[in-house]
Amino acid sequence: MFLQNLFKDARYFQILFQSIFLSYGIFFLHWHKEEWLYATYFISSIATQFLCEYVADNKKSHFTQRIKNGFTSVLISSFGLSLLLKTNEWWVAVLAAVVSIASKYIIRVNSKHIFNPSAVGIVVAVLFTGKAWISPGQWGSSMVLVFAACCLGFIVVTKVQKLTVSVSFFGVFAGLLFIRQIIFLGWPMDFFIQSIGTGSLLLFSFFMITDPKTTPNHAAARIVWCVSIAAISFYLATFKFINGAPIFVLVAAQLFVPLLDYIFKAERFEWLHVKLQVSKNEYSIKPILQKAIK
Amino acid sequence: MKRKLLFTAPLIAVSPLLFSFCGFYVSKADGTLKNKTSQVILVRDGNRTSLTMYNDFKGDTKDFAMVVPVPVLLKKDDIKVVDQSIFQKLNDYSAPRLVEYWDQNPCNSYENENKVSFSRSELSSVVVSGYGTAKRKELGVKIEAKYLVGEYDILILSARESGGLKQWLTGNGYKIPEGAEEVLEPYIKSNLKFFVVKVNETEKKKLNNNFLRPIQISFNSPKFMLPIRLGMANADGDQDLLVYAFTRKGRIECTNYRNAAIATDKNIPLFVQKNFGSFYGNLFTQQWNNENKAISFLEYAWNVTPINQMKCDPCVGNPPTEQDLVQSGVWWLGNKDWSDYSNDDEIETNDKNVHFTRLHFRYNRKSFPQDLMFQVTPNTATFQARYIITHPATGDFNCAAGKKYLQDLKQRRKKELRELTALTGTDLNNWEEIASAKNDEETLASAKYATLLPEVKNESEKEQNFPAGFILFGVALVGSAGIMRWRGIV
Repeated sequence: MFLQNLFKDARYFQILFQSIFLSYGIFFLHWHKEEWLYATYFISSIATQFLCEYVADNKKSHFTQRIKNGFTSVLISSFGLSLLLKTNEWWVAVLAAVVSIASKYIIRVNSKHIFNPSAVGIVVAVLFTGKAWISPGQWGSSMVLVFAACCLGFIVVTKVQKLTVSVSFFGVFAGLLFIRQIIFLGWPMDFFIQSIGTGSLLLFSFFMITDPKTTPNHAAARIVWCVSIAAISFYLATFKFINGAPIFVLVAAQLFVPLLDYIFKAERFEWLHVKLQVSKNEYSIKPILQKAIK
Repeated sequence: MKRKLLFTAPLIAVSPLLFSFCGFYVSKADGTLKNKTSQVILVRDGNRTSLTMYNDFKGDTKDFAMVVPVPVLLKKDDIKVVDQSIFQKLNDYSAPRLVEYWDQNPCNSYENENKVSFSRSELSSVVVSGYGTAKRKELGVKIEAKYLVGEYDILILSARESGGLKQWLTGNGYKIPEGAEEVLEPYIKSNLKFFVVKVNETEKKKLNNNFLRPIQISFNSPKFMLPIRLGMANADGDQDLLVYAFTRKGRIECTNYRNAAIATDKNIPLFVQKNFGSFYGNLFTQQWNNENKAISFLEYAWNVTPINQMKCDPCVGNPPTEQDLVQSGVWWLGNKDWSDYSNDDEIETNDKNVHFTRLHFRYNRKSFPQDLMFQVTPNTATFQARYIITHPATGDFNCAAGKKYLQDLKQRRKKELRELTALTGTDLNNWEEIASAKNDEETLASAKYATLLPEVKNESEKEQNFPAGFILFGVALVGSAGIMRWRGIV
């Protein structure tokens, strides 16, 4: 049962891979002294989620139900923050987590949230507090193989529309870099490999931009959208030397998603079996409730 | 042979300062360039960078020549020569440190003392030679500017294609290192200019000293990088680079290689005291190898703002004074004309903060295909490479507390021995002679390192390297997933 669900919902895989990356960082890349930061992200995200559900749900539903709603996505955004955003101030960490989760509830168009939670948390923390930063240098080049294996596995297993998103973003971004670095400037090959092998870029292309809830619904629009993010990020990273450019561009680009959805009509993505699971759990919750009442 | 490993290893990591900077130089005589350490000061705020290159050249100054790629066409005001002593000051201030503590005999009461000692660095030299005078035009090489600054004749070159530049440089007596050739074309196409330096003999004689002063260049460019590729003489030569960086906001970080802090706050055996330099050298090499070489090691980070009282703890050298900082190129402290400074908003805040970062690289062509790119982060946390030795208490230990102390002392010393092995990657057998020989005479026989060493050896043979943390984490993960599943959360 558990395994069946695991294979059905790509998000469980995402959580699994992200936790592998985080433990790799902690145990092999020695991200010591930062456990407090990860704990802060997780605790504040879950608390915010609970609070938002509490407010949005008119206090009707049960405690577990409230936590359960969107729990996977809370974990994914907390992992996203842990893997990408650095800060020394606890309040910045709390702010980033609160902004991530609250943005899902507050900034919505046509009952679809606009921003990718962790991306918007990162952008707000970096731009508005001045106390947080993205650290591309926390991954080594030895990370690349681990990443490649995981990402490949991820794609094969999920088979969702994410594939087009990752491939069109990463393909275009890497392609432009290749043209610039190898063909135009004439750098040797290992120069290029070093450029695309950074952990932050791979994390972004396979675990952040892929969020189907915040990408355009229409397949063609989605590809065009990804390609423009890649092109703009390439420009900013190469000619303006902006670190973490893709994340900033992604947040800006997500503002246009409602417009694209309006022009290119298509069915909205739903995590299919999530509905199934919720309905099942409604039954399974009853005995617990009854026990609690007794 | 093996036993001597620790003590014969070159003092590279601590700071033998060799002049080899980012540029390349070298030539006719094919001077032997091996295992060198170059030092640079990088000052960055907004889009402005100031770069100071240490000049450790010894030999006939006629033979000195250097090429540095720069992103913009430098004006004469952008180039200065500065006092050489600044590098030694910064190195002494930020070098890895050894801290000494004295135990108190629990049976008497003595005052606790502690004092600090620090590693000494040794200067070594390299011979670099050759600078011809032939001039070739029609090669697509254009001399954009020509300056006389201090004792240096400076040319700023731009080139249209790498072949021409290579010919020009060769014709002028610069021998380009083999591995460096491949970067000329990308540099030219990236629109970099080449900053070419040689010594002006007339000016040099007026100075009446026998060394060359460091050159400092300042420019505005969004690119915050250090060109190391041109200086990579050959594929297998490892070169050490110390970067002393000053910013207004916080630490600098390398963005295209992995960042890690060097191991710090470690308790190590007393006998390391006399060999601290080589201890750190071995430690650096071991960590560098463990971390797959392509890595930027943090060795020191502190707030050195002139009004900040606490600039180190403990201090192993005098902290840089305001004058030293201005000398290093920290322009926001001096009363300079900032007319060309691009970020006007920040000047108005009159922020005089200065954060210092010391990064240590050991690069080679294979592990470092790209030049070093940096970013300024708002990370203001302090860091120092600090190693602790503790002198045991002396006297009688007949009281109950004294016996307990001896037990603890033995345990502690065993731990120190294991730590030493882990940090430097040397075999325990290498320590036998040293452990029995050095400054351990007053310790009770049963607690001497020499006595404890065999015990530690036996224990470490039994020990298995068990990744307990990793497994614990995995179990916790699966466990929590199971609980969430059971409670119907996921």
